[in-house]
Amino acid sequence: MNDMRLTERTVDATDIKIAARKVQVFYGTTHAIKDVDVDILDKTVTAFIGPSGCGKSTFLRCINRMNDTIDICRVEGDILLDGEDIYDKKVDPVQLRARVGMVFQKPNPFPKSIYDNVAYGPKIHGQVKNKAELDEIVEASLRKAALWNEVKDRLDAPGTGLSGGQQQRLCIARAVATSPEVLLMDEPCSALDPIATAQVEELIDELRENFSVVIVTHSMQQAARVSQRTAFFHLGNLVEFGETGQIFTNPRDPRTESYITGRIG
Amino acid sequence: MTLGLLAALVLVLAIGGFFLGRQRALSTAKGDLRKLHSLPGYYGQTVALFTAVPAFAFMVFWLFAQPALIETRVAKLLPGEEHLDLVMSDVRKIAEGLDLLVARGMLSNATVSDMRADLSDVRSRMGDVGIALGSNVKPAVFQAAKRYRALNNMGHTGMTVAVLAAALLGFGFAFMRIRPEFRARNVSESFVKVLLIAASLVAIATTVGIVLSLVFETINFFKIYPAADFFLSLTWNPKFGGGSELGIWPLIWGTLYVSLIALAVAVPIGLFAAIYLAEYASKKLRAIAKPLLEILAGIPTIVYGLFALITVGPMLRDYFAEPMGLGTSSSSVMTAGLVMGIMIIPFVSSLSDDIINAVPQSLRDGSYGLGATQSETVKQVILPAALPGIVGAILLAASRAIGETMIVVLGAGAAAKLSLNPFEAMTTVTVKIVSQLTGDTEFASPETLVAFALGLTLFGFTLILNIVALVIVRKYREQYE
Amino acid sequence: MTLADMSHRPSLYTLDARTKARNAAEKRFRLYGITAVSLGVLALVVLLTSVLGSGLGAFRQTMFTLPVTLDAAVLDKKGNRNPEEMAKATTITYGKVLTQALAAVVTERGLAPEGMKTKEIGALISKEAPASLRNMVLANPDLLGTTIDFEVLANGRIDGFFKGRVTMESAELDSNVSPAQLQLAQAMKEAGMLRLAFNPAFITNPDASELRPESAGLGVAILGSAYMMVIVLALALPIGVAASIYLEEFAPQNRFTDLIEVNIANLAAVPSIVFGILGLAVFINYAELPQSSPLVGGLVLTLMTLPTIIIATRAALKAVPPSIKDAALGVGASKMQTIFHHVLPLALPGILTGTIIGLAQALGETAPLLLIGMVAFVKDYPAAPPEGFLDPAAALPVQVYNFTQRSDPAFIERASGAIIVLLVFLLTMNILAVLLRRRFERRW
Repeated sequence: MNDMRLTERTVDATDIKIAARKVQVFYGTTHAIKDVDVDILDKTVTAFIGPSGCGKSTFLRCINRMNDTIDICRVEGDILLDGEDIYDKKVDPVQLRARVGMVFQKPNPFPKSIYDNVAYGPKIHGQVKNKAELDEIVEASLRKAALWNEVKDRLDAPGTGLSGGQQQRLCIARAVATSPEVLLMDEPCSALDPIATAQVEELIDELRENFSVVIVTHSMQQAARVSQRTAFFHLGNLVEFGETGQIFTNPRDPRTESYITGRIG
Repeated sequence: MTLGLLAALVLVLAIGGFFLGRQRALSTAKGDLRKLHSLPGYYGQTVALFTAVPAFAFMVFWLFAQPALIETRVAKLLPGEEHLDLVMSDVRKIAEGLDLLVARGMLSNATVSDMRADLSDVRSRMGDVGIALGSNVKPAVFQAAKRYRALNNMGHTGMTVAVLAAALLGFGFAFMRIRPEFRARNVSESFVKVLLIAASLVAIATTVGIVLSLVFETINFFKIYPAADFFLSLTWNPKFGGGSELGIWPLIWGTLYVSLIALAVAVPIGLFAAIYLAEYASKKLRAIAKPLLEILAGIPTIVYGLFALITVGPMLRDYFAEPMGLGTSSSSVMTAGLVMGIMIIPFVSSLSDDIINAVPQSLRDGSYGLGATQSETVKQVILPAALPGIVGAILLAASRAIGETMIVVLGAGAAAKLSLNPFEAMTTVTVKIVSQLTGDTEFASPETLVAFALGLTLFGFTLILNIVALVIVRKYREQYE
Repeated sequence: MTLADMSHRPSLYTLDARTKARNAAEKRFRLYGITAVSLGVLALVVLLTSVLGSGLGAFRQTMFTLPVTLDAAVLDKKGNRNPEEMAKATTITYGKVLTQALAAVVTERGLAPEGMKTKEIGALISKEAPASLRNMVLANPDLLGTTIDFEVLANGRIDGFFKGRVTMESAELDSNVSPAQLQLAQAMKEAGMLRLAFNPAFITNPDASELRPESAGLGVAILGSAYMMVIVLALALPIGVAASIYLEEFAPQNRFTDLIEVNIANLAAVPSIVFGILGLAVFINYAELPQSSPLVGGLVLTLMTLPTIIIATRAALKAVPPSIKDAALGVGASKMQTIFHHVLPLALPGILTGTIIGLAQALGETAPLLLIGMVAFVKDYPAAPPEGFLDPAAALPVQVYNFTQRSDPAFIERASGAIIVLLVFLLTMNILAVLLRRRFERRW
């Protein structure tokens, strides 16, 4: 663990956005996440990699308390957002999720118009005073998601009518519209074709300017392409966490090396 | 020979055919099963099917064709009768009476053919066997009745002979074809397949039967009562002495008013219950509450009718209508609507529950991930996504409400009125169908025939609702499959 | 707020006003849901308790045992013990015998109020009693000359008095009963003569006329319903299963098949009364089958039940995994053999469950039966099948309706009682269906 601290200093990012300490997750009697400590930095893309079932998605869903919606799921330990424990009793997950947005594996636009999809978050959180302000946010979000030029003439068309890649970018626009501080992405490209994947990856890189991005991915190439820092999960344990370049070129843990070289996975 | 005996005889032939056919197949193969194309049972089955099925089909066909053929021929004997329907029912009664007289040995067949209405007192003799006639019998009518009886007897004999002949022919045909190389399995399987198709056509035949019987009698109705009055008049006032006013609007108004109240009760309760059970309730609560609500759909409507009559009606009258000066009747639109609303709660809730459950979890995740509360997710994501399906469910419930009979018969009242006061007794299309068609019905008066026009209206109305609802629900299901 | 200014967010630990409002809205919404579920369940409870509450009384009836001397000189004037000659003594004669027997008992015990006429005392006895006494004597002429203990039902008003339906005040205004008679009944009860006891005749007796609610029973209706269920089962099950097999396994995907499917779905939602019109027009007017007969009722209910059975059977057939079909086809079975030897037996529990539910629906159906003459007053039991299928009969739900159409409130109690019997049958059928499903349900 001390080694990890060393690599951290080499990253040129500023502050710690999210700090997780001794996080345990249980599904019923299954111990899904064991003793995970992670610091996620602001304005950085952090990638979670690891074989299927290693707990990376589960851990991601802890960060905005999406696991609350699953009855049998129990989370222990501390996860701090800007120093505040998000699992504190006083915290309302609804307020938390406005600050920690999420994009899912499969594009899941609501069966509404493109405009209404993007406007959904700001509306429910009451972040706008009038229509003009909302228009502004919708446009800005769609631009951030690199979708504006494709859909600006058909904002009233249903979001479900877009292509897969466009749908996923719409979901990203929807997530950034509430101006979150952290954006969680759960394998955002796994349902997309290579061209759409390239577009979304490019977008993730741009999003880094404003947000702290955490991305779960199956593809090590993707992690290498988009992230500055990488965490490797294995069987519910955080095996290694460090600068992406270091993880891929010079892994310290033999398990990481086996995974990267394709021996486990 | 009675029908039962005839049917039994055909069955015996078929069963015998099975064993004989099987036997013959075995003997042609000289006991060597391998020489047969099919298992010996299939040879027997072929014989049995060829014996029984054409014979029974013939029997059913004959039974349906005979009345129409005989009636047209007898009707020719009665020229110039104004109310042919009424006269024909007398003819039938007299023929039945003659049968009874002969059966009890009070008359012989020979005396019947010599009997003449102008010479013997037919009416009193009919009275002896419990057949009441309205007036003395005219000679022409009596002759027609004798002819009717003769034709009927002839038809009966003819059918017996024909059915038995069909059975024997089928038996012989199938039996003679048995050779070792005869493809008995294929033949009998094709035969069975024809039977399966015939069974699935019963549903079509039912619809055709419904439409034909409704349309046919409705045309008769419009021959004696102007269609314009039926569709445009605002009064419903049947008089059995003639001069009835049979405007459908008061009935339609009553029907819609009751259904509207029922939906106003059932839609909010059913929908909220469905939402709660699908989105909020724990597994335990769901496992208890859902079947309990569904029991409401399994309770016969007569039970709801009685509930309206003895509990809800008096309660509404005593605690609402009378104190508020809105009426003194315990049957009212409100009574029927409220009780019907309870009945259709499960129609709304069950189907809505299925539909809400079909909304993919990813949409819920998307909404929660953005920080929406559960109710916001329900209202703004799930309901809009499920809306078409829910609309379909509500339309089906509406169709139930419009066609419901017993609750309105016992709860809504019988007075046809165009009123806005929900505590007043009003009546519906179904109530009037029941009241015009129960008891002794003579199919010649507009007061009776109007029931068919009402039935056709009701059928048309619900048909449209059902089909629209089915199409919507089907489209919706496809969307998420 | 724009995307840029997110630096001064409030702490997560404090709920902002909007979140509070949203949480309140959430609570309200949840409350609406609970309210809706409770309202639905409450409606069920009120419905059942109301019917049970008013119907349980029908199973208990006020009755008393009366020592009756069967005087041969009155009841068999010729003295030959020949039932045909004895039949000349009408129910009126037997009524007098009963009246005198009762008058003798109450006078002897000193229960009768001053100046009460014998006839008034006799009015306490059910008007049905003379007929049943007469039938008893005609069936067994040896009883003549003996004194027997005869079980007599009390008149409906007297019964109503003990069940709280009739009061002294209402009797003042009632031409059928007087307060004096009620006092006599009260006295008889105190003397231990009258009792309220279980009344099996409610299940077995036929219907009775307007003035004899105490002896009205459900015998004919139960028999009629049973006959109809036999017909429905015999017709709807084979036709329904055959149609489902064709549609599920053989039918080509074309417009005609589609038409049949839409048709079946629609038939399932056609108002039941329309089936009654069909029955009236086709089976009674055209085919001239007898009115009020279980055969016509059974045919109409068959057509109504078919869609339910077809829908359930198709679901059951669909649930059999294709791998089983492939296995049978793979060893060279024909398609027909595959279906009849493998698919159908596996689907059987589902088919039976659907059939029982369809039958339960048919058993409770009322409206179509009204139109085919089942409302007629039928006092004679139908004969044994198959002839009995053509005899006039009643049906349980229609009997309920019939009871409600009579003016004496005693019939309301009987209507509710009939519903209890109906619900017991339905409950049994549904429990059977659930057990079948539990016992044989397979998941692949």
